[in-house]
Amino acid sequence: MWVLRGLRNGVLTTGWPGRADEYASATRGPATVKASPAAAALPAAEAVRLCPVDAISADKEGGVRVDQGKCILCGRCVAARPDVFAWSAGPHRSTLTRPGLVVPAVESPETLREVTDKLRARTRALRRSVHLRHVDAGSDGSEEWEIMALLNPVYDIHRLGLFFTASPRHADILLVTGAGSRGMARPLRETYDAMPDPKIVVAVGTDAVGGGIVSPSYAVRGGVGSIVPVDVWLPGSPPSPFAILSALLMAVGRIPASAGPPMSVAGGDPR
Amino acid sequence: MTAATEPELAASVPALWHLVVRQIAAGSRLADLFGTAHPDGLVLTAQLAGRGTITSLEALLPSDQVRYPALTPQVAPAFWYEREIHDLFGVVPEGHPRLEPLVLPASSTDLPMPGAGAAPVAIDPDPGVLPRHAAGPGLFTIPHGPVRSGVTESIEYLVETPGEDIPHLNMRIFYKHRGIEKRFEGLSPADGVLLAERTEGVASVANAIAFCEAVERIAGLDVPWRALLIRVAQAELERLACHLDAIVRLADGAGLAVATARFGWHKERVLRLAGELSGSRFGRGVVVPGGVSGLPLLGPADLLGAIGDLDRRITPDLDLLMGTASFLDRLRRTGPLNPARAAEHGALGPIGRASGAGEDTRQSRPYAAYGLLGVTASSRTDGDALARLEVRIDEIGGAVHLLRQAADELADAGSGQLRAELSPADGRATGWAEAPHGEVLYDVRVEGGVITRCRVRPAAFHNLVLMHEVFAGDILTDFPFIEASFGLPVAGAAR
Amino acid sequence: MTGFGAALAAGLILIALAAAADLAAGPRGRAWRAAPYLAGAVGSVSLAVAGAAALAGRAVTLGSGGLLGVVAIGARPGFSAIPGLAADQLSGLFLVIAFTAAAAVSLAFASWSIGPRGPARRGLGAGYALALGSVAVVLTARDAFTLLFAWESLTLAFWVLSGYRRAAPGRPAAALVTLAFGRISGAFLLAGLLLLVTRSGSLTLAGLAHVPAGPLRSTACVLLLAGFAVKVGLVPFQVWLPRGYAAAPGPARAIMAGVAVNVGFYGLWRTLAVLGPPPAAVTDVLLLLASVTAVLGIAHAAVQGSLQRVIAYSSVENTGLILAGFGVALVGAATGSRALMAAGLLAATLQVIAHTAAKSLLFVSSAGIQDAAGGDDLDDLRGSVRRTPWSGTGLAIGSLTLAGLPPTAGFVSEWFLLEALMQQFRVPGLADRLVLAVTGAAVALTAGFAGVTFVRLVGLVVLGRPVREGTRGDGDPGPAGRAGIVALAVACLALAALAPLEIRMISAGLVPVLPSAAVTAALKSPWVLQPVFPGFSILSPSWLWIIMPALFVLVTLLAWIASGARLLRVRRVPAWRSATAGVSGRASYTAFAFANPARRVLAAVLHTRAEVTRLDASDDAHDGDHDAAAPHVEYSSDVIEVTEEYFYRPFRRPFALAVRQAQRLQSGRLDAYLAYMLIALIAVLALVTGLH
Repeated sequence: MWVLRGLRNGVLTTGWPGRADEYASATRGPATVKASPAAAALPAAEAVRLCPVDAISADKEGGVRVDQGKCILCGRCVAARPDVFAWSAGPHRSTLTRPGLVVPAVESPETLREVTDKLRARTRALRRSVHLRHVDAGSDGSEEWEIMALLNPVYDIHRLGLFFTASPRHADILLVTGAGSRGMARPLRETYDAMPDPKIVVAVGTDAVGGGIVSPSYAVRGGVGSIVPVDVWLPGSPPSPFAILSALLMAVGRIPASAGPPMSVAGGDPR
Repeated sequence: MTAATEPELAASVPALWHLVVRQIAAGSRLADLFGTAHPDGLVLTAQLAGRGTITSLEALLPSDQVRYPALTPQVAPAFWYEREIHDLFGVVPEGHPRLEPLVLPASSTDLPMPGAGAAPVAIDPDPGVLPRHAAGPGLFTIPHGPVRSGVTESIEYLVETPGEDIPHLNMRIFYKHRGIEKRFEGLSPADGVLLAERTEGVASVANAIAFCEAVERIAGLDVPWRALLIRVAQAELERLACHLDAIVRLADGAGLAVATARFGWHKERVLRLAGELSGSRFGRGVVVPGGVSGLPLLGPADLLGAIGDLDRRITPDLDLLMGTASFLDRLRRTGPLNPARAAEHGALGPIGRASGAGEDTRQSRPYAAYGLLGVTASSRTDGDALARLEVRIDEIGGAVHLLRQAADELADAGSGQLRAELSPADGRATGWAEAPHGEVLYDVRVEGGVITRCRVRPAAFHNLVLMHEVFAGDILTDFPFIEASFGLPVAGAAR
Repeated sequence: MTGFGAALAAGLILIALAAAADLAAGPRGRAWRAAPYLAGAVGSVSLAVAGAAALAGRAVTLGSGGLLGVVAIGARPGFSAIPGLAADQLSGLFLVIAFTAAAAVSLAFASWSIGPRGPARRGLGAGYALALGSVAVVLTARDAFTLLFAWESLTLAFWVLSGYRRAAPGRPAAALVTLAFGRISGAFLLAGLLLLVTRSGSLTLAGLAHVPAGPLRSTACVLLLAGFAVKVGLVPFQVWLPRGYAAAPGPARAIMAGVAVNVGFYGLWRTLAVLGPPPAAVTDVLLLLASVTAVLGIAHAAVQGSLQRVIAYSSVENTGLILAGFGVALVGAATGSRALMAAGLLAATLQVIAHTAAKSLLFVSSAGIQDAAGGDDLDDLRGSVRRTPWSGTGLAIGSLTLAGLPPTAGFVSEWFLLEALMQQFRVPGLADRLVLAVTGAAVALTAGFAGVTFVRLVGLVVLGRPVREGTRGDGDPGPAGRAGIVALAVACLALAALAPLEIRMISAGLVPVLPSAAVTAALKSPWVLQPVFPGFSILSPSWLWIIMPALFVLVTLLAWIASGARLLRVRRVPAWRSATAGVSGRASYTAFAFANPARRVLAAVLHTRAEVTRLDASDDAHDGDHDAAAPHVEYSSDVIEVTEEYFYRPFRRPFALAVRQAQRLQSGRLDAYLAYMLIALIAVLALVTGLH
């Protein structure tokens, strides 16, 4: 009975990244700065005041920067100054370096290429089929939902050769969510150590990247970067399943590292 | 509903307990028990949910006193609350049956003390303070967690077993403690709602509603009708998503691959609808103190169409699921929660209602637009996993109905502002909402325009302790079903 | 006395000297303590040599007067020309089996006796020597009287051995039970032999074959079979085995269970040789009892909490297996199929050999492990290979052999046994075929549960993580003991590789029962075995011994190459336990928990009862906080020995009643006792006259 029911609706799975998917561009990403004259004219004090998590900083030469790794997608800056700030769109939200999340770009393309080459040299063996192990280091529960959504028939990561595994001994990629609660520092470190080389660590969600609004707190370490060495940084509160897929594919090199924020906002309209 | 009232002050802690016991005997239930640091010591507040309102009772424990008589021997639901107070403030309830660290096993004397102005920089949990849980003769302990198989939240279950049965279960929830209550201190109410949304990420809207209700009560605001309708719509979409998630986990545990896939698809569609409506798949950024942040991005007609589409697809699958005998067999008589025990504890949400004991806050203490829209609470008496599933399915139907009603009302509601102006006001009030897992309480105190104490009591913290009681004759393979049928977010329990 | 008879004599003399040394000197110094066992070891070697000579066909005799001759009562009609001790091929086979094992065990015994937990007073060595001597005499007895005399002295030796540590709780009761069942077996033998002797008119065992067929011969055959079955522990007589074996100290268990038990099997083989098969109904009952014994034995072995009891119940299981093979031989003898008889006897004898080696090894190793840990509970003995590497390895190899895993000797014997049972389709009668099929199923079930039982031993006791740290090597035997363990372990393994030679030896030994050509038909080619019937199945354990290591080496080589010579570069991290914050002590799988599924699955056989009790003492006057870490739930699970419960227990009351009545005879008055003796004499005279 269930089989017939399942067959009736046809293919639900998205073809992304092979085929375009309009929902991939539909979900909001962290706030970004428009390349407009209003951005350059914005007074620094007002800009900083807009953000409850201090993600907006003023540039020395005038203009503003948004640290997407801290953005919790509250929307206040976009609502207050839509001429300066906008939501970023598109599924490619992750970077290989933490400074790479600051838009407009502060990092040079050479640095990015260097980091990419180092990562690829270390993880040459992981190309087609990798196993993922997820650890919750004090998240609010929504990132787990978005990661589990990868297993539903709409996203179906199995078609891309990505699988979830229970034992870190079998895992290649470590997905970490949560702001790095101190209670999970030792278990996270143990899980990381229990994984054999080569391994890649992906920090999923703004909490994991920068601590989110939960930081600073006596019980939280402001992101997981101080507990395990992170290779791929993915902001979002929570990041959409397409963004997570993009980050995973970037981690194994099937999406170029330059597809993420720093390159995509340098001198152009955000999509 | 009722205006913010100052809590009744008792002369001493034993007098406070006396009042609490009397009110419980008169028909209330213990909704919350927490402490607030005070210059003169520690203020213990007990909140009781009675007919139509929440009453607060307080007493001061002077700073030279570290020990006080425990409430748990007289009022069993206070079990975890007193342990939490012990962890955060360092006071000792004498006569507490099992005083182990719950949310913060700390060996240092530097404790968080919510309500005190200062906050310690860092407190690392010390596993050495945890009891080693020696199993009895013939048993050994399986430590399950905090990093468990699958994509799950971090919690550790210590299963004491002779090999197959589960004679006893212990839980360690401190791994995910983030110090949320302390983080609230110093935030403005406008920023506080952002933190409230991220306390329990899967119930963002309900937490935001409860927080905003408390703030609005302090300021004496009336929220516009349209905003209330939008709040209801987002909250019911969230309820749909949570209940579908529970069904996905149950189907996955039973190995029904097609059912898991189909309900995963339905949940994805609900989340996409929520995203289309508000811009965020979890409904974040919608509820703000005073109203809502903006109109839904979908018009009422489109919303009605989308809801109808969802209903048309979900209902046949639910019927087929409830006709799959092998699935129902796994759930029947699994994880039974004794109705008497549920009533004594005051179990919240679907767990309580499945044991015939719970109330639905939308019905008993209506908030937002629920009073006028009308909610029928679903109820069962068996208390097993199947009953909990049936309650959730009833609530899915109820949520669809409420969404239709809200969309209709929105179409007729005309125009007007969506947000009342939040004037700076000091005071203290309690807000509540019925999250998909049960009632969530926020007790907010605002002084000088910033929050000085915000008590968060999600349903998960109240209900999770009942996991100890439901393993009657079940074996290890029933564990995922019981956990999924409870469906409580650990982020809410540990905060 | 022939040349090799001297070996026989030398062996007996050395054993007697051993007894004398122990009784005279006792545990007075290291040398004196070990002396009886070393003498016993040399004597065992001598006896084994005599046995080998007998196997080869040489005449091995000792004395023409036998015991009566030594006492020189004088010639009487019917009692003249009593042969002394002599070993024919069957005796020789069992002499070799028993006394090579006894030599190795004696070395271990010597080593154990000078250890810290060795014997504290005299008597153990004497008991040991008495046991060995009795075994030797039983195996070489030519007449009924010698046989019975030696049998009773073996019972006495068992009583001495199992009751040696009489201060320990439960030991006196165990010793009494051992003595009682020994006497019961002796009584059966006495009755059977007397019946035959009266009819045949001669005391010699060879002469008993001439008794004409009829109810008397059948009854006597059944009585003899019963007597030997009590000794080896066939249901319902197996209740003394676990108690008796577990009660004996140290390697004495190996003497009892590994060496002395072979007299029972020898007796059964000899009964078949002398009297032929019993009636068909008896054979079927024997087969069914054997299958019940095997299943019951392994069911209890799988759930015991004490190491010695696990090994003791495994003896019961092996009895069932051996008697299943013997039953096949009986069916073959009754139906006149020599090949089937050969198949059954070969399987049974192979299992006897494998069991002797493995059981001796197990009990010798367990003595060392128990001494090192100070206790017997399986959960206390975990990780013993780290504390006592020699004993631990011995336990592992013995366990693998009894579990029937390749490439050990147990694998070969179980294969033969199952193959022999599978020949049931060749048997004409339906009843026999059904019974053989049921027995085959029971043996297969037993083999499965034997795997579970011994995995528990190897996985937890040998390889687990030690619960308590102890000094390494404390409790491990000294050089002599290590030699003994190595010898037995090598035997367990080499007997598989050299199975064809073993089969030739067995074929020589079974000559009194079968022509050796019938047994060597199991050798399809020099190194390939078949279950006597051609074209059915083949096995080559010798080739296994070459191919398995070769494959292992090949795979390792491939792995090394595929990993680019980086196979051994590892990073060590703690075992993954879901990153728990930790629990105390018993946080890993206990032996008790491992046996839980077996306890539940076999609940019908074991009558398992489980109970969960709350330990929260509400009457504990505690103020303030309870000890949060105190255990608050207890789980207990009990099994019942069904034979004891339903077979023996109902007889307790009438038995006690009968005993009370009989006690009235013990009036304590001399004239009463004289009257009893007069009545007994008149009765015997009347009986003897009446029978003639």
